[in-house]
Amino acid sequence: MANLLEIHDLHASIAGKEILKGVNLTIRHGEVHAIMGPNGAGKSTLSAVLVGNPQYEVTSGTVLLNGKNLLAMPPEQRACEGVFLSFQYPVEIPGVSMVNFMRTAVNEKRQYEGKPALTATEFLKLMREKRSLLEMADKLNNRSVNEGFSGGEKKKNEIFQMAMLQPCLSILDETDSGLDIDALRIVAEGVNRLKTKENACIVITHYQRLLDYIVPDFVHVLADGRIVKSGDKTLALELEQNGYAEFE
Amino acid sequence: MVTLNLNKGEHRELVCVDEPSLDFHCLQEEDSSLRLFVINFKSAKNVLHIDHCATGCRTEIYHLALLQGEDSVHTHTRMHHDIGKGSSKQMIKFVLDDKAQGSFRGELRIQKDAQQVDAQQNNSNLLLSPKATMRTQPQLEIYADDVKASHGASTGQLDESALFYMQQRGISPERGRQMLLRAFVADIIEQISDESRREELMSAIDRIFE
Repeated sequence: MANLLEIHDLHASIAGKEILKGVNLTIRHGEVHAIMGPNGAGKSTLSAVLVGNPQYEVTSGTVLLNGKNLLAMPPEQRACEGVFLSFQYPVEIPGVSMVNFMRTAVNEKRQYEGKPALTATEFLKLMREKRSLLEMADKLNNRSVNEGFSGGEKKKNEIFQMAMLQPCLSILDETDSGLDIDALRIVAEGVNRLKTKENACIVITHYQRLLDYIVPDFVHVLADGRIVKSGDKTLALELEQNGYAEFE
Repeated sequence: MVTLNLNKGEHRELVCVDEPSLDFHCLQEEDSSLRLFVINFKSAKNVLHIDHCATGCRTEIYHLALLQGEDSVHTHTRMHHDIGKGSSKQMIKFVLDDKAQGSFRGELRIQKDAQQVDAQQNNSNLLLSPKATMRTQPQLEIYADDVKASHGASTGQLDESALFYMQQRGISPERGRQMLLRAFVADIIEQISDESRREELMSAIDRIFE
């Protein structure tokens, strides 16, 4: 079986400025990778490039997802192939209800996989099931996507969507920022319960705190557009003590 | 010109769809209420003139213009509060594609003796093409001091970050665009009381957005 994700010598820029300067990373099924690093190192750029954000330009390198050329796919196809990004700043969509949004997303993916659309009853049952995983209220269904949600609710809503879509590769981009300790625990437990031997997770974070709850198999330090150090979970503890000074 | 007199305590809801030239004048008597919907899918000129002639009158104006090609809609509302203790609400939306043009002039007048009036006017517009144009001109003349009057106007494009967010969840840009446009116009259509009329208009709108 091919590796879940293979990033080879990836270079990317925004508005002509090179941010990623040769990233190499291999992720196998069932693994959790943490990517840490100082501000401006390119952590969010890496996640944006993987999901095909049009603001970034890939200038060279390859990315294979289960052996397929990820960079050749439009963003919606990457999503249907199982790449999910928990946004650092989830977007508000006034007038589009969560139920309508989620039903469209779930059924687009099912159609891509050649499966029939879920009936309204099946869909609502699935919503209920996944909502309870994140301890979210019933009224969620009819609220507009992220509109008027608190910071914590928005992050829970991201993980709720992850639970609904069951991606093979989840990228959590600073999901811990702006969360109080209770919300952090709920979000992390949600992520842990969704973990299987078949999927994998990239956790992008500035702090060790989240990694107390979502324990990584590997920790990488991204600095100045490259992965400069990799190790196991003890690397995160070292970084917590010593900071990023040696990489800046 | 169409003139409508609303008698004391009378309530009326009117839905006008694709009238090419609407010159509408309504005189409202005590405690009467008017809900007026003006929907345009093709070129039109609208003058909507409402006079509150006695206390306790309520008016709601909902106007949607959804235009393509070289069509244009020019709308002028004249909301006149001559007597106090009345309310008015105007929600005006234009969606302009291709080389379509729109203009809105919103005249809101509250006379000196018309105290305790609550008047709102809101105009928001979406430009779907760089060649579409919109002119908007709120015109508030308020001579009374004990009133609530608010107005807002905005013109913009579809939210690219929302479209990308939807794409990241597997929703194609075409489908996402349709969902955002539907959400934008639904604010107006959902206010129509008659359910079959609402559904008929929403499906007409869906056909345009396809």
